[in-house]
Amino acid sequence: MREHTTSTPSLATQVVLLAAIILFCLFPFYWMVLTSLKTQIVALQTPPAWIFDVTFSNYYEVLFENAVARSLVNSLVVAVSTTFLAILLGTPAAYALARFEFRGKRELWFWFITNRMVSPIVLALPFFLIVRSFDMLDTHIVLILIYLTFNLPIVIWICTDQFRSIPREIDEAAILEGASQWRIFFSLCLPLAAPGIAVSAIFSFIFSWNELMYALVLTRNVAKTAPAVAVSFMEGYSLPYGKIMATSTLIVVPVIIFALIASKQLVRGLTMGAVK
Amino acid sequence: MPGAAREVRISMLQKTQDLERPVPKESMNAGTVPRGTFLGFLSPAVVTLAAIGIAPLAFAIWTSMRDYNLTRLQRTPFVGLENYATVLTDSVFWDAMGRTFTLLIIALPVQIAAGLGIALILHRPGLTFLKTIARLSLVIPMATTYAVVGLLGQIMFNLKYGVVNQLLGFIGITPVNWIGDPTNAFAAIVFWDVWQWTPFCALVFLAGLTTVPGEIEEAARLETKSWWTVLRYVQLPFLVPGLTAVLILRTADTLKQFDMVFTMTRGGPGSSTELISLLIQRIGFRAFDQGLASAQAMILLVITIVLSRLYIHFFYREV
Amino acid sequence: MSMKSTIKRLTGGAALALALSPVTAFAWSLEEAAQPYAGTTVDVVFLLRPGYEAAKKMLPEFEEKTGIKVNVTDMPYENALGEQVRDFVANGDFDIALVDLVWIGNFAENEWIVPAEKFINDPALADPDLDLEDFFPLVLDAFGSWGGTLYGLPFDNYSGLLFYNQCMLEEAGFDGPPETWGELKDEYGPALTKDGKYAFALQSKRNETQSADSFARVLWPFGGSFLDDEFRSNLLSEESQAGLKFRQDLMQYMPEDIVAYDHAEAVNALAQGDVAMITEWSSFYSTLKDPETSTIGDCLAVAPEPEGPAGRKPALGGFSLAVASQADENEQAAAWLFIQWVTSKENAAEYLELGGVPARQSVYKMEGVAEKYDFVPALVESWQEGVPEFRPRFAEWPEITEIVQEWGTKMMLGEVSTEEGAKQIGDRMEAVLEEAGYYDGEKPLVQ
Repeated sequence: MREHTTSTPSLATQVVLLAAIILFCLFPFYWMVLTSLKTQIVALQTPPAWIFDVTFSNYYEVLFENAVARSLVNSLVVAVSTTFLAILLGTPAAYALARFEFRGKRELWFWFITNRMVSPIVLALPFFLIVRSFDMLDTHIVLILIYLTFNLPIVIWICTDQFRSIPREIDEAAILEGASQWRIFFSLCLPLAAPGIAVSAIFSFIFSWNELMYALVLTRNVAKTAPAVAVSFMEGYSLPYGKIMATSTLIVVPVIIFALIASKQLVRGLTMGAVK
Repeated sequence: MPGAAREVRISMLQKTQDLERPVPKESMNAGTVPRGTFLGFLSPAVVTLAAIGIAPLAFAIWTSMRDYNLTRLQRTPFVGLENYATVLTDSVFWDAMGRTFTLLIIALPVQIAAGLGIALILHRPGLTFLKTIARLSLVIPMATTYAVVGLLGQIMFNLKYGVVNQLLGFIGITPVNWIGDPTNAFAAIVFWDVWQWTPFCALVFLAGLTTVPGEIEEAARLETKSWWTVLRYVQLPFLVPGLTAVLILRTADTLKQFDMVFTMTRGGPGSSTELISLLIQRIGFRAFDQGLASAQAMILLVITIVLSRLYIHFFYREV
Repeated sequence: MSMKSTIKRLTGGAALALALSPVTAFAWSLEEAAQPYAGTTVDVVFLLRPGYEAAKKMLPEFEEKTGIKVNVTDMPYENALGEQVRDFVANGDFDIALVDLVWIGNFAENEWIVPAEKFINDPALADPDLDLEDFFPLVLDAFGSWGGTLYGLPFDNYSGLLFYNQCMLEEAGFDGPPETWGELKDEYGPALTKDGKYAFALQSKRNETQSADSFARVLWPFGGSFLDDEFRSNLLSEESQAGLKFRQDLMQYMPEDIVAYDHAEAVNALAQGDVAMITEWSSFYSTLKDPETSTIGDCLAVAPEPEGPAGRKPALGGFSLAVASQADENEQAAAWLFIQWVTSKENAAEYLELGGVPARQSVYKMEGVAEKYDFVPALVESWQEGVPEFRPRFAEWPEITEIVQEWGTKMMLGEVSTEEGAKQIGDRMEAVLEEAGYYDGEKPLVQ
């Protein structure tokens, strides 16, 4: 093989760097899992223990006594539904932004993106009062809809760029053959934009799964999501770190598995509009 | 010299301006698609987002112009722009704003530089297995629930039973009072922000690098031995859209940053980690002064929008 | 003052009502009283603390007897106020208000809670054995009443106590705990702070802990207070400053990250043998005694808080349960039955046994109780005298506590002097009180 450049780091350096990256990314996760297997006394011991008698009682307790299991189901229902809706509503809009020319297009695009930037703190209380007046507090549907305010923009953003990177000639050829815009969208462009759709779905899912503020304000029991439950252990009164970390692990692992499965798409779809 | 590379750069340049460049008249526009189709594509998203988003925002603007305290709702007199005046002259607000931007200004360059470095390493051929592992590892910080990161921070950075001090001890550093010291607590927050979002930058840049056509990159490498020249003239144009996205998203998210800091330090000790979102939450949800909090939030929103506009203006247009 | 007469009036009223309906008086039983409300659900917020765990264990008995369903929502303390305020504002679901003593002015002035009179005077609902005079008067007054009106019954009750590691003290040559704050600092401090161990930990994290457990704790024993008689800041007074300066001084004998200590950290520091003494709420006794959460075992001992130049004035905190106004008539009645039952004289022993701390005087006089629970004598002594306005209980407290928390921690970190910090708190506090209308005579000066 040809030596590329003088500044190519040597193989050894590369291995060291890669190992450092992997360690850096994984260590906190490792520590979380480790702590979740400790009893209260061991978790708070000085210096922290690396080797100890493993206990699974934290998992048992949070799953069966603290309703974490139900909250995980809630999180899943909410995250999947809102992601699905965001894709359903967002991809046609993205296609229109990429393909059609109309007045105020840039403004519209920017308005979509702006929604992603509004801090939940701004809207949490108004939402609470409005939702309350419809008597819909503590329901899944409310979270599903509200999460669209940050998921739709992401879908539209990423997918607009994806659609744009698909050569127009494809569309034009199809039009000459008499295909309708919807047909072109569904049969031609949607499959070609798959990586972008996948990435925006991954992000929608991650953002919704991890959301805390709205979940805290708008749910109480029935629809309470997993992050809201995790923080509720944080009574300054006692620090059940074992339980907190067991819950955290239960929250983080599903989304990591999901993200790992999809990680190939992540790199293919995150081009943010750079053109192939 | 890299004449070839420069030409490549110019041709790439045109493509990356796609967002800006008006579509040629003869290709499709709203005129050629039936109005019904056009609306059919756009209106579901527009209507949904407007229906969900506008009412609360209007409500927030309304409360921002009233003396609206949740525990004194018997009287909520209209006060015009008084809340805004209070916010704009309140040093506490600007201190929190300053801290938020300090976080952004320290963390973002680190994330971009380290992310780019990681992307460049992963983009090189060879060591496939290790690189796959590394790429997969990058997903983990990104996917970790933000609130959990803060909880983890409480444990790992504790002065007594924290593992960070233990690890530092191995290399001879005396225990650091992380969470109980204003400067160190801020450093801990910067650490987590970098931990969580450097991988995101790395993946975005890696995606950008994969869009550089192989033959162009090869040709450029034949021309020059300097990786910097290749990066600057060949790869960078492909990275700009990703960079813009990173800038916008990270800026907006830093201004929204709440969960991690709230669960780790709650803004303390003192006010050393009280970012703008924590301040607004404190005023609106703990002191219940929703009028003032809404005014703060509106100002925050305006700042975020202005910044995003600037990014788009400068980066999408000028590069 | 007014509280005593209120109780008299209320008990008198109840007695009168009972006398007028002799049949009910003889026949009153929870089952019968609850009959019309069987099937009613009452919603209440509980915290994740021992007293609530105890009550939860007692719940099935109540539900079985009455057919009333009690729907509990668990919440950390720091969210409980916000959640309830939002619920009351939105005319929501909670039928019972969980009232921290510093929230009572707020809840009462907004008329979110119903005066207890309504139920005490209803012979169908009032338990003849209610016996308000059995509650520690200080506790009933501070936790349950506002402006001379009784709203709630004390449920989860705390007094500040000195928990200490007897073994560490003995090793350092002390045969008992410090009597005064001065002693604690000047004698115990230097002797017990060495080899990575500390004499004392004063939980001072920037939340309610900073105001209640740290700031107020050094104010009162030194003769200081938040407000003077005109409701102006008293924090710059000589006495208040003495207390605040004492805290700064004492910090040399505390762990260096003390401003990050919440209750849990302080308790854990004692439980792991890292500090010798803490001043904490009575309810931590069970955590510190339990071998699953504490390593110090029999070394644990309990005493009243040390005295200052102005006397003992220990920290006072706790929660009452009150009926929420937004509940309908049936829910209100069912809610009252639950509150009355869970705080009753009859159930006090069981509540104590399960880990709660009842505010009933009678239970602590029962045989064997003082021996079984080491903290009882100190607790009873602490509840004899105390300052109900240890933290002002008026409606503006939620705003003021935020100010105290911010500048109180800055003071401890040395970012501002005690004078500068006190001035900042004072100015901002007075601005809040000004706006509330205390200074133009709109609002009576009640705290």
